[in-house]
Amino acid sequence: MLQFSSIIDAISDLLSPIFALVPADWLVSLPALTLIAFGILSLVVGMRTSPLAVSFIGIILAGFEMILIAPGSSFGGLFVRDTFGDFFIWIILVVAFLILLSSTTYGGNKGTYNFLLMMSFAGAIWVVMATDLVALFLAWELMSTPTYVLVALGPHRGAIDGATKYFVMGLLSTTLIVFGIALVYGTTGATSFAAIGAFVETVWSAASPSAYAMLLAMVLFLIGFGFKVGVFPGWMWVPDAYATADGSVTGYLAGATKKTGVSALLRILLVGFVAAQMEWMPVIVTISILSMVIGNVLALSQRNIMRMLAYSSIMMMGLLFVGIAAGTAFGAAAAMFTAFAHALIKTGAFILVWALAVSIGKEITYDDLKGLSARAPIAALLMAIMVFALAGAPFTAGFWFKWFLIPGAAVDAGLWWLAIIAVLNSVFALGYYLRILRYCYFMEPTEGTTIRVPTIPLVAVVLAVVGTILLGIFPGFVLDYATIAAGAIVP
Amino acid sequence: MQLGIIQDLIALLPMENILPLMLFAPLVAAFIAYILGARGARALTLVVTFVELLLSLVLIIAILPNPGVMWYEWYFTLSTVQFGSWSAILQIYLGVDGISVAMVFLSNLVVFIAALSSNHIDKSKNLYYMFFLMLQTGLLGVFMSLDLISFFIFWELVLIPMFFIIGRWGEEGCEHAAVKFFIYTHLGSAVMLVSFMALFFLGPGTFNMLSIKAAPIAINIQIGFALAVFLGAGVKLPVFPLHNWLPWAHVKAPTPGSVILAGILLKMGGYGFIRLGLWMVPQGFARLSIPFAILAIFTCIYAAFVAMGQTDVKSMVAYTSINHMAWVLLGVAIGGFAIGGGATEGQLFSASLAVQGAVFMMVSHGMISSVMFILAGQLKYSAGSREIPAIRGLMTKAPRMSAVFILAVFAAFGLPGMSGFIAEVLVLFGSVNIYIWSGFIAFGIFVTVGYLLWTLNRIVFSDPDPEKEVTEAPWSDLIAPILMMIPVIILGLWPDLVLNLVMPIVNDMLGVIP
Repeated sequence: MLQFSSIIDAISDLLSPIFALVPADWLVSLPALTLIAFGILSLVVGMRTSPLAVSFIGIILAGFEMILIAPGSSFGGLFVRDTFGDFFIWIILVVAFLILLSSTTYGGNKGTYNFLLMMSFAGAIWVVMATDLVALFLAWELMSTPTYVLVALGPHRGAIDGATKYFVMGLLSTTLIVFGIALVYGTTGATSFAAIGAFVETVWSAASPSAYAMLLAMVLFLIGFGFKVGVFPGWMWVPDAYATADGSVTGYLAGATKKTGVSALLRILLVGFVAAQMEWMPVIVTISILSMVIGNVLALSQRNIMRMLAYSSIMMMGLLFVGIAAGTAFGAAAAMFTAFAHALIKTGAFILVWALAVSIGKEITYDDLKGLSARAPIAALLMAIMVFALAGAPFTAGFWFKWFLIPGAAVDAGLWWLAIIAVLNSVFALGYYLRILRYCYFMEPTEGTTIRVPTIPLVAVVLAVVGTILLGIFPGFVLDYATIAAGAIVP
Repeated sequence: MQLGIIQDLIALLPMENILPLMLFAPLVAAFIAYILGARGARALTLVVTFVELLLSLVLIIAILPNPGVMWYEWYFTLSTVQFGSWSAILQIYLGVDGISVAMVFLSNLVVFIAALSSNHIDKSKNLYYMFFLMLQTGLLGVFMSLDLISFFIFWELVLIPMFFIIGRWGEEGCEHAAVKFFIYTHLGSAVMLVSFMALFFLGPGTFNMLSIKAAPIAINIQIGFALAVFLGAGVKLPVFPLHNWLPWAHVKAPTPGSVILAGILLKMGGYGFIRLGLWMVPQGFARLSIPFAILAIFTCIYAAFVAMGQTDVKSMVAYTSINHMAWVLLGVAIGGFAIGGGATEGQLFSASLAVQGAVFMMVSHGMISSVMFILAGQLKYSAGSREIPAIRGLMTKAPRMSAVFILAVFAAFGLPGMSGFIAEVLVLFGSVNIYIWSGFIAFGIFVTVGYLLWTLNRIVFSDPDPEKEVTEAPWSDLIAPILMMIPVIILGLWPDLVLNLVMPIVNDMLGVIP
């Protein structure tokens, strides 16, 4: 981006009178505030006509503001834009853009739908900007609450079931997080990550008994935020909510909200509890191994593609946690690259499956994919590239994180056995990825009719696929950014 | 000789970019082939593979003056990762020496012959030729790579088109075989990959093979790495406990798929043993010399007996491949002995013979097994079945095809005058001088000759069954195997064509002063 910096400076100089209207303390949070403003606007517009254009403008404006406004802190330092946060904000904005493209097939013409999505996007941006537990909690709720409703808005009655499960488990995790915050505040008297980090360091060097309260809080955070990420032990809601919600919302849950949980955990563990690395490492290792195994084994036994993809993202998050377990800057960068690549691939995959489901008019199972290469060649090709990206084929983004970054990070940290477990799980995952290709390409269609997949969601999928392949050839584009961002938070 | 003039002429060409040209031309052609549609795709594939074959001949002549060093190094950096004390360059790094060029030539030859024999492919032709050309890129990339990351990229890239070729254009039950092939070979590669990482972080901190070769690496890391390479390359080769995928994939694949599988994919395993094992971590490999040699001898005899029990011709040829590839492992293991130290001058010379024999075996088996697989596939069209008991009197009903088949079988069991003989003799002479017990592998030849002649007896020289229709194979189907028999005989009479390429680098590897 360096070559553009002079142009960016010129434009931001040009726009500085407008930015000056915004209170200085709010300026850095402007992308999130923009999303909120446009969300309310789309609620109003939605009373008359389809408000999707309003939401698009909001997302694009937020993207420009990200480029034009220099990083800094807002709301008295509660929400800070640093390179680390920016990395995740870009994930959220990219996913949000793709999701809005996909919403044209279902729900996008309703004001409430747009409003809820935009609120959730804003909350997600604040989650990754938060440097304080209370601020994090507020943003977390702003992000989560609309998604409960969005899942319930799904196309058939099953959505209520999925949403209920999601909501109840979400509340449980929220309770755990609140309890963890209470423990931390009671022990340290502070809620900012930096202060907690300093406190943990003194406690660990002095071996004082309050370490146990902090450890309990840490485990509660792991479970609470891990719930949203969809790793052991809070993974049970994932397949139900993903399979019953409408596909765009699923794409958002899998692509963006998962990653905010990752960012929150990275901040808590690597800033707040960095001194306790020896204590949290085994916990994370256990979580990651169990998530990989559970995700893999259960994904193998699914017939419904949405559910299969849901379980495969549980497995992917287990893989990502291997990077966190390494606890090094390289590990964090590997986890962040994984987060970005996974957001791109999984969002695309969910949008594609959803678009197919809308055109066929039923939930997609393996049998519906029979002979897809003959019935919808372009969709089949895109599906094949997505599946290969998930499986880690060369010249896709999946190759780098599955075979290079994650095992590399684990070996770098001395966890070579964990690297072997991770790659063996990746190989195991081929069992269900290849099955999709088998149905799409090797089997003859049972029905001769062609499937007309709606165009605009297909454009979103093509964007995701192109991004995936570009990242496969030039991983440095994201990896360098991830390296800098990880270096910013890991000492 | 007149070769000097040709070499001068070649020196005038912009040769430094020949490797990326050879590597990426098929990839570009693959996408064009898809757009061209069925008829154009076949023509384009034939042209591209033939041009690739000519280019590899040019490459051979160009590097012939000194095949012991790396030629035409070329790299393209994908990304650089830097953290504190270490930095990793992720790049595609190409370069060739004598052994690589021999394998590059073999792959181009086999791919060309496989393209010729693709005439029975009749559904989704453009898609087929797209995967076919992608496969060629992957194969060439493996043999040209000088960087562990690019080696692994191409090593994995090969699987994807092969998976589709087996699964979509194969026979009844091919979907299962395709998935089994993919997962089995992936499993070995995955463990090998972790060892790449371990070598990077515990060893010299680079993925560049030349730097790794030059760096001093602790012996236990070398042994661990060699064991991981055994898993990765041993699945491809394949060696006894890791061979289960091979009969499935070979039998269910379409004929050109089997040709490429047996002709080149197995050679990726042998090449992996030589390049990543013997060449890169010689000391670690030397410690594993005896177990590898024992395993190779066992695999050879075991596969020969299993092949004897097969009733499907294709399946029999598949087990013959396992049987022959065991010779490669034996040759490489013998090479390990010489590196381990304490070898006399005579033993060094023998070890060098054995390793040269291993490379020669890869080239020779690549050509012979192609012929065998094309003919085995042809049986299905001519005799309606590949089951040995169901085919009778081939000589009476289909003399042309029988003649080629008999020649191929002779070549396969190593009749003097054919390339298979040279390969077996080189490995056997080399190894017996070092491990006297490795002469047991000759028992494998004994069994091989037995079952191959028995097969000839049953299907070719038996009395024709009047109720069964057997038709002669048309010339269009026989042209590919006949073309392929020419180099088999040439190399059988003039083995120096390959050995001159291979000897300098092998001698250099083993420390033999010629």
